[in-house]
Amino acid sequence: MAFGALLLSIVFLQLAVVISKVIIDRVLDADQPTEHLMIVGLQADIDRILLMAMGGRDFVSDNLWVPGLAIVLVTLLAGVFTWLRGRWSAMACEGIVVRLRDELYDKLQHLPCSWFDVQDTGDIVQRCTSDVDTVRVFLASQMIELVRGLLLLVLAAPLLIMINVWMALVSLLLVPFILYFSVVFFRKVRIVFRAKDEAEGRMTTTIQENLAGVRVVRAFARQAHEIEQFEDRNTSHRDLDNRLYVLMARFWSLSDLLCMGQKMIVLAVGVVFLLYGYIEIGSLYLFLTMVTMFIWPMQQAGRILADLGRATVAFDRLTEILAVDVETLTEPTGDEPLLDGDIEFDGVTFAHREQSPVLHDVSFVVPQGETLALVGPSGCGKSTIVNLLLRLYDHDTGAITIGGHVVDELARKHVRSRIAVVLQEPFLFSKTLRENISLAHPAAAEHELHEATNAADIHQSILRFEKGYDTPVGERGVTLSGGQRQRIALARALLQSPDILILDDALSAVDTETESTILEALRRRHGNHTTIIIAHRIATLMHADRILVMDEGRIVQSGSHSSLLKEDGLYRRLWNIQVGLEDELRDDAGGLA
Amino acid sequence: MTDVSMLSEFDLPEHIDAGLWRRIYRHTRPYRRSMIGLAATGVLMAALDTAFPWLIAALIDGVVDGAPTSSLVWLGGIYAIVVVAAAAVVFAFISFAGQVATGVAHDLRQSGFGRLQELSFSYYDKRPVGWILSRLTSDCMKVSSLMPWVMFDLFWGLSFILMISINMLIMNWVLALAVFSILPLLFGVSFYFQRKLLFSSRMMRRVNSQMTATYSESIAGVRTTKTLVREGSNLGEFQEQSGSMRDWSIRNALQSAVYLPSIVAIGSLGTAIVLWRGGLDLQTESLTIGELFAFLQYVVLFFIPIQDLARRVADLQSAQAAAERLQGLLDTTPDIRDSDAVQVKIDAYRSLHPDAEHGNDGGDGTIETVDFRQVDFWYVEGEPVLLGFDLTLQAGQTVALVGATGGGKSTIANLMCRFYEPSGGGIYINGVEYRDRSLHWLRSNLGVVLQVPHLFSGTIRDNIAYGRAGATEDEVVSAARRSEAIHFIESLPDGWDTQVGEGGSMLSTGQRQLVALARAILADPQIFVMDEATSSVDTETEQQIQRGIESILDGRISVVIAHRLSTVRNADRILVVDGGRIVESGDHASLLAARGRYFQLYTHQFAVA
Repeated sequence: MAFGALLLSIVFLQLAVVISKVIIDRVLDADQPTEHLMIVGLQADIDRILLMAMGGRDFVSDNLWVPGLAIVLVTLLAGVFTWLRGRWSAMACEGIVVRLRDELYDKLQHLPCSWFDVQDTGDIVQRCTSDVDTVRVFLASQMIELVRGLLLLVLAAPLLIMINVWMALVSLLLVPFILYFSVVFFRKVRIVFRAKDEAEGRMTTTIQENLAGVRVVRAFARQAHEIEQFEDRNTSHRDLDNRLYVLMARFWSLSDLLCMGQKMIVLAVGVVFLLYGYIEIGSLYLFLTMVTMFIWPMQQAGRILADLGRATVAFDRLTEILAVDVETLTEPTGDEPLLDGDIEFDGVTFAHREQSPVLHDVSFVVPQGETLALVGPSGCGKSTIVNLLLRLYDHDTGAITIGGHVVDELARKHVRSRIAVVLQEPFLFSKTLRENISLAHPAAAEHELHEATNAADIHQSILRFEKGYDTPVGERGVTLSGGQRQRIALARALLQSPDILILDDALSAVDTETESTILEALRRRHGNHTTIIIAHRIATLMHADRILVMDEGRIVQSGSHSSLLKEDGLYRRLWNIQVGLEDELRDDAGGLA
Repeated sequence: MTDVSMLSEFDLPEHIDAGLWRRIYRHTRPYRRSMIGLAATGVLMAALDTAFPWLIAALIDGVVDGAPTSSLVWLGGIYAIVVVAAAAVVFAFISFAGQVATGVAHDLRQSGFGRLQELSFSYYDKRPVGWILSRLTSDCMKVSSLMPWVMFDLFWGLSFILMISINMLIMNWVLALAVFSILPLLFGVSFYFQRKLLFSSRMMRRVNSQMTATYSESIAGVRTTKTLVREGSNLGEFQEQSGSMRDWSIRNALQSAVYLPSIVAIGSLGTAIVLWRGGLDLQTESLTIGELFAFLQYVVLFFIPIQDLARRVADLQSAQAAAERLQGLLDTTPDIRDSDAVQVKIDAYRSLHPDAEHGNDGGDGTIETVDFRQVDFWYVEGEPVLLGFDLTLQAGQTVALVGATGGGKSTIANLMCRFYEPSGGGIYINGVEYRDRSLHWLRSNLGVVLQVPHLFSGTIRDNIAYGRAGATEDEVVSAARRSEAIHFIESLPDGWDTQVGEGGSMLSTGQRQLVALARAILADPQIFVMDEATSSVDTETEQQIQRGIESILDGRISVVIAHRLSTVRNADRILVVDGGRIVESGDHASLLAARGRYFQLYTHQFAVA
């Protein structure tokens, strides 16, 4: 449809030129008898038909406003079709693009965590934005411009040939050269473009690092050095940029020369033909106008052809993302069981991407309603247990069951909706605090919200913000400290009223006093749910029903605080480091008291 | 925390601020010759563009009137010369434009960057790094690339319109006036649509940047999304954005789909007038066929400069916010800088000692004491962080600051480094208010290590050497030895040449702290400030570090901020800071004995319920 409209708009545009030509030749320049001219066949027919349509030669000659009106009308028609073309192509193209965007976004949300582990965030975002935009620009403008240029040429050619074959050939003489020159030129300068982009990247990085490290620069009074270094990058960017300008100057002047040269050739041959009576003045006008109409789009066409590769590359990069396998078994069917039973790990082993295992044959049971604590050096596999339980990763061997249900057989979304987790560096969305807290339970009543924030000891802090619960989070909003973020994430988790609550080093940035308040509140409100706490501070986990001590992917010790203290092992060593300090304190204090 | 200029990223100004653009224009002064070149080529190009239809008209009239072949050849020769000249002019003006655009961009960036090196932290506190960055990147580019084209199009467009008009008036003034009658319509339509297009493309950019943010958020928060099972509602929110993007894109496309045909249609009105009135004139022989020819072409050519001018006006509007922000940055005067009196001292000293190091004001070189006298300080008016704060530091002393977060510890360090200046009271170095001393001198004598130390991308060696310009290899190694960084450095596969990554991201926080410490040691400062500088280093290494730097601290002032007991206990004096005041002070033993805040702070963590 859009193509048809494009075709018609060009036909009408060219018809307007033909009318002018007919008027000049048949009506205005009528002193010369037409018979001796070689006006035969189709062209004469067209001229006659057009004249007849406007009321015959004599009528037109007396009423010159008629062809004027005809031209305006024909051009308006062309305009209408141009508009229709614009409308239809925009709707089609934007429709494709919006589907592509939505599909990409949805895809990203359903890709497994293991995929994100090995991806560069900036690269993915770039694909989803600028690559999509490259495709969009190609569909919305470049492709149409290319087709339009082609149609202008293809539709004009038979008309020109009809009028005068030799003139027509002359009119097209330089077209292949212009195309060839543009394509070759833009292919060649691509290297310079890339070099300039790289120089720009280096320059931007320099600024960025300088801004990020502003305290260091000041503290060591190295501003002069920084300015000098920037001058370097800035200058090399300027020089490359300027080189591009010179190259472009060369391109435009040369290709303009070709285009103007084409017009000049038409004019020269036309004047000679005119002298010998091979063509009429109006035809010369038509040739000159038509050449002007299609010659400049040829310059652009060459450039677009040279650029075609970019759109293909962009599209390939997008299909790469779309082709990655998403997580399996995500959607719940509705008849999933509650996950309020015992959690059992039985001989679970897990490795990231064929590397050495992070968990070796791990087995344990958490009875429903109890609190389990995990402790051990970083990288020992504590968080992996949480990730497997949440089905963020799939384990290799062994079995994980909750209340006897094998988690592998449960829909991921169901499992996750029954487990609430607070991470060490919790992620808050750029929404208001209220929206962030009620993410998992948007219909929560105000008092439920306050109950959760009170338990997380963040209610009072929120009220201190100028906009309270409606304070937006993020660059435009408030900057929250690590501890505040953790407590908001905790409130969010509590509001979820889950079967299982997991705190993955979730209170590390909260000071010790606040932490004990929170833990106390959690113990008090502790309902039915099972709790898993991961922490480094012994004080955080000593009240757990059971403590698992992990090292290098294995459970090395397990038991209650008091029983573990009696064993000689990692737990007691950790305890001694902290309590040792306390003893020292006591000694110091006691000695002086 | 937001200021007005930050929010105006996508807003459209109602009017063009001539004063602002005049000031921006001043930045082209070094490229005056190119700017004059642009104006000259603009006029020249207009003349050549006007010549084409005129030459064609002359040729055709010559043919029709049966002029001698030689005169036709002459005209053809002139036409060829005009073609070549036009190509040459195209080359010339693009080259001129390149010189101006790239040169102005370079200069604006350089002065902006220089200004940023002087601006105080209060400027940085209010603006995210990304925001400042785009002032030097996209804003600079937008403003500088506009300058030459506005210049050229102004001269080319106006003189082209003028020359075509004159030419038409000479050929047939009645017909010319008839053609002019469509001009107001043309101007009106062009300006109207350019503004519309400008608005919708702005909206597209705004929605686009929102979408980019949403994409980043979806990736950064993928775990949270999954664990909260937010996939569906997130997609819904995203679809609102992508839908509005589609709507604005379509609206933008429709606007140009109306705009361009309207222009062409108005143009055809011109053609119609020429054919009708001109045809009559031709019949009465008051117009030659060649002139009719020229008129037909001029009518079409007329639109190009008008459209271009309308576009430039829209460009100026669109770049106005960028120009404002950029000029705003250049005009910001740093709150913290050498006063005029100090500048005079520095200049005086330099004229006496031409080879003195930069920023020497001729005052005391050795720092004996630093005195906080009745210092008040607030980041935000009405929310004081320090009030009437007194503290005396003496060379050879290590003072530790402890206390709850937000109590003002880091503020004291910031004031000491003159990253901020006291809002009330004063800080005295050897009895002289430090604002009466050279800023560069003070900073050259500082060694600061922060909790999350920033490293620059480059090797470990480069990063340590950053501490002092011109440090030798031996000095770098010895600094690393003292900070205990040498062990981990030499255990790395690439050793000293290990790339640390942007911000130091390839190293662990503990390793970064060790490198930062080595950097500070290399700087050989008279004042050491360590703000949680070893918080991520294990206890054993930390003790080694303390032994390593003990000898360095000899005779210098050092301020240590820490939570860890072992870091603090050896300090000569420990100050417990809370609510902007010193609530306790003394050495470790006496403070423990006092059983006050200090005692509480460190016993609390292990209190067994």
